[in-house]
Amino acid sequence: MDPVLIANGLNISFEIVTLALVAMGLAVTLGLLGVLNLAHGEFVMIGAFCAFFVQEQGLSYLWAFPLVVIVCIVIGWPVERTIIRALYSRPFDTILATWGLSLLLREIVEFFFGPGFNSVDQPVSGTVNIFGADYPLYQLLVMLIAVVLIGALVAWYVKSSTGRRIQALVDNPDLAKSVGIPTIALARNTFIFGLCLAGIAGVLLAPIVAVYPGMGIDHVLKSFFVLVVGGLGNVVGLVVGSGVIGGAESIVAAILDRTAGYTFVLIVALLFLWKKPGGLVSR
Amino acid sequence: MAWLAANLAFITAILVVLPQIVGDFWAFTLALFLLYAVACLGLGLSWGQAGLLSLGQGFFLGFSAYTSGLILIGFSTSAWLFPLLGLSVVAPGLIAYLFGCMIFHGRTQNTAFFAIITLALILLAAQIATAWESVTGGYNGLRNIPGLPGFSELEDAYTLSAVALGLSMMFAAWIMQTPLGVLWRALSQDERRVAFLGFNHNQLKSVAFGLSGLFGGIAGTLYAPQNSLVTPDLFGFLLSTSFVVWVAIGGRNTLYGPVLGAIGIGLATNTLRESVSFWEVILAVIFIVAVLYFRKGLTGTAEPAVKRWFERNDRVRKPAPARHSAMTFDRIAIENLNLSVGNVGILEDLDLNIGSPGIYCLIGPNGAGKTTIFNAMTGELEAQSGTVSMLGTRGIKMDARTQTIAGLGRKFQVPSVFDQLTVGENLAIALWSGRSSRRDLLRLSLLDWESPVLTELERRFPFLTDRRQMVGSLSHGQRQVLDLAMVLCTEPRLILLDEPCAGLSLAETNEVISTVRWAVDRFQATAMIIEHDMAMVRELADHVFVVHNGSMLFEGSVAEVQSNAAVQAVYTGGTK
Amino acid sequence: MTGPARFAFEGITGGYGAMMVVRGLSAEVGEGRCLCVLGRNGVGKSTLMNVLSGHLGAAEGSILLNGRNLVPLSPDARRRQGMSYAMQERPVFDHLSVFDNLMLMRASAGIGLYRSYFDRFPILENRLDQKAGTLSGGERKILSFTRALAEEGDITLLDEPSEGVQSENISHMETIITEAKSRGRSFVVVEQHLHLAEAIADHYLIIDQGKCVLQCAAADTDRQDLLAHLEV
Repeated sequence: MDPVLIANGLNISFEIVTLALVAMGLAVTLGLLGVLNLAHGEFVMIGAFCAFFVQEQGLSYLWAFPLVVIVCIVIGWPVERTIIRALYSRPFDTILATWGLSLLLREIVEFFFGPGFNSVDQPVSGTVNIFGADYPLYQLLVMLIAVVLIGALVAWYVKSSTGRRIQALVDNPDLAKSVGIPTIALARNTFIFGLCLAGIAGVLLAPIVAVYPGMGIDHVLKSFFVLVVGGLGNVVGLVVGSGVIGGAESIVAAILDRTAGYTFVLIVALLFLWKKPGGLVSR
Repeated sequence: MAWLAANLAFITAILVVLPQIVGDFWAFTLALFLLYAVACLGLGLSWGQAGLLSLGQGFFLGFSAYTSGLILIGFSTSAWLFPLLGLSVVAPGLIAYLFGCMIFHGRTQNTAFFAIITLALILLAAQIATAWESVTGGYNGLRNIPGLPGFSELEDAYTLSAVALGLSMMFAAWIMQTPLGVLWRALSQDERRVAFLGFNHNQLKSVAFGLSGLFGGIAGTLYAPQNSLVTPDLFGFLLSTSFVVWVAIGGRNTLYGPVLGAIGIGLATNTLRESVSFWEVILAVIFIVAVLYFRKGLTGTAEPAVKRWFERNDRVRKPAPARHSAMTFDRIAIENLNLSVGNVGILEDLDLNIGSPGIYCLIGPNGAGKTTIFNAMTGELEAQSGTVSMLGTRGIKMDARTQTIAGLGRKFQVPSVFDQLTVGENLAIALWSGRSSRRDLLRLSLLDWESPVLTELERRFPFLTDRRQMVGSLSHGQRQVLDLAMVLCTEPRLILLDEPCAGLSLAETNEVISTVRWAVDRFQATAMIIEHDMAMVRELADHVFVVHNGSMLFEGSVAEVQSNAAVQAVYTGGTK
Repeated sequence: MTGPARFAFEGITGGYGAMMVVRGLSAEVGEGRCLCVLGRNGVGKSTLMNVLSGHLGAAEGSILLNGRNLVPLSPDARRRQGMSYAMQERPVFDHLSVFDNLMLMRASAGIGLYRSYFDRFPILENRLDQKAGTLSGGERKILSFTRALAEEGDITLLDEPSEGVQSENISHMETIITEAKSRGRSFVVVEQHLHLAEAIADHYLIIDQGKCVLQCAAADTDRQDLLAHLEV
């Protein structure tokens, strides 16, 4: 096979897989809890800065993972308590408040790290030869981790008793309370879990992208588009949505340019919002 | 009216004289924020009035700043300069209107999604502005834009901005007062009810969004000559976010709120950003707190959302014109209706026929499908099979708005009144239904309309005469009655009432019963009433339908229903 | 009755928003007793159950279980205090299997604990892997009934358990409730099906327009008294 074709194929799959990885956290908060968290991208950004911070301190890249989980819990707990829980019945204000939160998180990070671009070294270097195409090892690793992570999450959601209780909560919140599920705590933990997923995605992406306070905005938009196209509350939807959005963008961008790719994605998302707001894969 | 004009002229005068006092540097900075204030005023109209949050208000400002810049560079000596600049003012308004039509007429009615679409729009615009270098100058933007001929001095540019803001505020104040403004505020509270009063809610929203685009166009067109530089930063989400923050903190529902927010907080940010290093963090916290606890913002508590600036002292009530389409009675025929939601069948082969005007009560156990019958009739739920013929159509699907114009009046089980409007405004909206043209919605005299039906209702329910009372402060019973009064003000020929007396006192119930009877006689109307209270059914019903498990179990007079064994069995559990 | 009642509510007033649907309802249920709440539809029976189970706040009144005030507790906390509730509408998790519906809160136990229920309702055992949403309305009611009864709560609230259920299964419900009563379990049941109500009730609470119109012991009441309040 043509190595260029394979390289292109790998690049496109990388786009799709990382998009699914980033969108997964939003799928949890929006799909399961119905909370449209516009600060989702900022948690990806925080994850990336955790990786940067760890590098600044001269520590191993791996330390960024426990760090981001701690940071997400420390931020997520009070945020859920003060903003999200108060606004479950006011979804419109939720987007405003989380938009304010995204502003706040950006400003805080900017206060400590400055507005400029930073870079994180790849923890593993080198390339591997796949059917004649040289491909960076780290990218390959990220793809693998992402696929494993998504698979593990789905398996946990379907198999574990906590996963089933979350399904019960989504299905019939009143009955969930009546059978004794502590729904308030469960919703809080689920929300924080969604934030941690975003943060971990940020840590994984940090070595490949520019790390700066404003980097989150693109991520939240594309994650949202993935869910619009794929539909909510279903992992198949997540994968299909990522495939359509990530695939469309990278193919159009490869043929024309980045702007065209972006425009195309926006038009696709608009068409879905317009004609098929339930997405491709409905529950 | 005169008072407002004087007020705004005074503000404009202060703004014009200000540079003499604060000096040129400040004047230049202030001039920029005056333009931002115009853009924020537009955001106030779409968000504060019609409830459409745009996270991308900068799009319109940026768009016309680019077009205005290009026009000034290319045609600075042409006679066409000013007409072209006029176009650059209007174009964003038109784009916003068409964009609104497209989005709102689609299936997505979610305002949260709308906010995200606007966000996507500016990010796209930023990409294009950066990438399309040959036209936009790319990352560096358009530079050395000449000033407006005749306004080239800094002071002139400042004065122009001040006057533009003054005129924009005047326009905004007027439009907020018109029936259009009232309808915006109504639909931001309950869109479905606005549709059920016979208005094209999608079009109303599109107009609001279009006007917010127009205000952005005014600001952008003046921005280019004033700053002589236009960069993709105008499309940055940071600027658009700032607009939202300023409007939210200033007060989104009021006239002065967006202006105060833009000038006050904008200037403060400009000054403090350097000296107070975490100012932006503080501002973000204030914004979040405002969203959570002070939704009306700074001006919202000080000033009523819309002052009666245009109210005349010598208010004369004027008779409302007759409704456009005076329907006569039409039979209602529901045949073989099957409707299920998900895999739960709700209606099964339901037949229902009404051949003459009168009061028809629907009774039946919980979950029998009574409300679903109404929902199927008004198109809220789509039936899988079967036909509904009524209001001059034979099984043709009509939306709520068209049905209302054709003579439908529907009252929902939970009172659907506009809490944040006055009693008078609630009733006025109902009077405009089917009687006002699109142009009428800009005439202030519509607020003075009255009709014989309204007068009679006011006689029966005296609390309706206190027209300035906020509906949110009414009791539950009064809100139920107001809801019914709004339905009757549209003089419907087919009245659907879902438990109109739920939660009413005995006295209120009796008055409602007699009012429904009076209205049915007066309009020669058909009323279909879902009712659990058998005492009320005995009072009201000319004919009773008993619905059970989604089918018609029995129909007949009250006496026949009470002596029917099958009906009694349903009510006492002998289902088999 | 001696000593404080197992379950008691007093002066319950509640509704939706400003609209009060039930006003000033009171009753006591002793150990191993069953209170049947009767009335025509739309009079506030389900609202009362929603207030008792904690899904609606009580504007006024107290709810005591084993002497402990339940009013400030959320529905899940009430479950932990020993209250079980089978709701009238949407009684099961439609997207979960029958098995998961039954085992959701019993991860450590085996399905065997439902043996005695499966003997009476074999359809449940036959459909363990099926999604509960694919069951008929009556079958869902049986599933909900089984889940609630097997919780062995001190007080069990059943809102129209027999709605859409075949008559032979209604008599199974009757037997199961009677057996549970003999084990000291107490019940509050809203029921339209008079035969079932008469078979299990020790007391009646009859409401109309949200208020109590008759409260009486089952032994002192005959069918005509009840019909007078129920027929339309």
